[in-house]
Amino acid sequence: MVSDEYGFFIDPQRCIGCKSCVGACGECGTHKGRPMIHLDELDRLESPQTTPTVCMHCEDPICAQVCPADAIKRSEDGVVHSSQKPRCIGCQNCELSCPFGVPIVFSGLEQMLKCDLCYDRTSEGLKPMCATVCPSQALLYAPKAQVELMRRAKPVREFLVGSLLVKTRTAVMLPDPETPLHLDAALLIEGGF
Amino acid sequence: MATLGSLDLQVRPLFRAALTTLALCGLVALGSRGGRWIDPALLGYLMASIFAIFGVAYRYWEWVERPATWMYMRDSLRMLASRRALAVLPRLGLLALDQIFLQRFIEKRSLKRWGAHALIAWGCLLAFAVTFPLVFGWVRFTSEGLNQDRYQTWLFGLPGGTFPVHSFLGFLAFHVLDLAAVMVIAGCVLAFVRRRQDEGDTATQRFDLDIAPLLVLLAVSVTGILLTVSEKAFEGRNFQTIAYLHELSVIFMLLSLPFGKLFHIVQRPAQLGVTIYKAEGEREGRQPCKACGTPFIRANQRRDLEALFHRLGLDAARHSEGVHHLDLCPRCKRRLLAASQNRRLGGAFDPFAAVPLEVEPLLDGPSGSPQ
Repeated sequence: MVSDEYGFFIDPQRCIGCKSCVGACGECGTHKGRPMIHLDELDRLESPQTTPTVCMHCEDPICAQVCPADAIKRSEDGVVHSSQKPRCIGCQNCELSCPFGVPIVFSGLEQMLKCDLCYDRTSEGLKPMCATVCPSQALLYAPKAQVELMRRAKPVREFLVGSLLVKTRTAVMLPDPETPLHLDAALLIEGGF
Repeated sequence: MATLGSLDLQVRPLFRAALTTLALCGLVALGSRGGRWIDPALLGYLMASIFAIFGVAYRYWEWVERPATWMYMRDSLRMLASRRALAVLPRLGLLALDQIFLQRFIEKRSLKRWGAHALIAWGCLLAFAVTFPLVFGWVRFTSEGLNQDRYQTWLFGLPGGTFPVHSFLGFLAFHVLDLAAVMVIAGCVLAFVRRRQDEGDTATQRFDLDIAPLLVLLAVSVTGILLTVSEKAFEGRNFQTIAYLHELSVIFMLLSLPFGKLFHIVQRPAQLGVTIYKAEGEREGRQPCKACGTPFIRANQRRDLEALFHRLGLDAARHSEGVHHLDLCPRCKRRLLAASQNRRLGGAFDPFAAVPLEVEPLLDGPSGSPQ
């Protein structure tokens, strides 16, 4: 069981693109050598900025809703796990539907794997691998109350995907936490970095 | 009725499961010649099997009716009913060999997992192939007339072949379940060892889903082997007690089939349908991401997922400029999250923007925080 007192806080603007998180992620016992974290360049031409993406652990995960095999489960502590091995049929519905582009379907394995908050570590009170090594704390796993005091930006756990409200366990740091973070594709199509 | 209501049973799957069970009962009556060939010693197994079939059928139909599952089921059925079926069938056969018979996708997950799974799967399927026809009265053995040295096989009440009792075939007929039990025991032991060594599995496994099924299979196999041991080595000592224990463990296993991990036996063939669905999608081509232009989503899956989003009440996942969230590739969805944070931060990612900086302290492992 992962403690509810701790939260995972993502702050893309702090990412320095060192890829420590990618290397560490593969070392996690539940990932077996395969990094589940994504590290993307936003727009190589416009900016050196990179962004790490881990699972946001949605309250009502869309990946689980669209899974035909009923293979994706959310445990009581709010962690959405990789697909169950006996059930997953590798259809990629989850990969294509996730609001945040997190799941990875390995076609040879016929299984979806994703960030599971390093469950073997966090259920024992340790940090996820990526947060352990992140030098700039773009990935921060810490007591919720402490983060509120440490950062000017505050955690936001509500996102508007188009106009669909998605609530998550993992937070993104924003200066104005009262308003959900609006994800609109126009931002990418117009450009902006 | 109140109890049924509290179980939250669905009417249509319930009706279909009842029909499936009735069909099985009809086949049992037909194959056993009106019940004449049913072995009274196996009546307990028969009742448990019928209940298990009802439970499995109910859960199967309920599962198939889930919007996401039905999407693939419908497309697979349409494919099999179309002219393309003839072109697809050879590929389906090869896929069944690779994915169902050899289970090579499990080998790619882990060699130990594959070894354990192959032993358990083939041990169980071998045992099912022997016991269900015997329990349903479809297969029976008698002496050939007055000749005690030859056995007569009966299939669906009709005479099949005969074979000498003291022959390799006879030995195999009497001990095939022992062979299945040895395979299952070896597979379960290997599975327990692997689970103990695997940090990831140790953290995420659940007793009801991962451990209990192995214990039940072990109980069935060990009590089954003990029957032979009692007969061969101890002149049948405690045979009745072991037989009762074996029957109890088998009935428990059968009754747990619809609720436990073993239900995936009937789910797994869906993987074949999905592989064919993907191949058909490739023929149609992939649609490009509306943000970066990279082709990524198969046309058939894009259509079906939008319909599925509609059925699930997720229609609101539409962006401005007529872009559906499904039109963005996973990488652009990840970039979008960061870009949106950037906008709210007033362009902090822009290296040329004048963003007022304030030093924030790093959280440096205060006492009580995890390391």
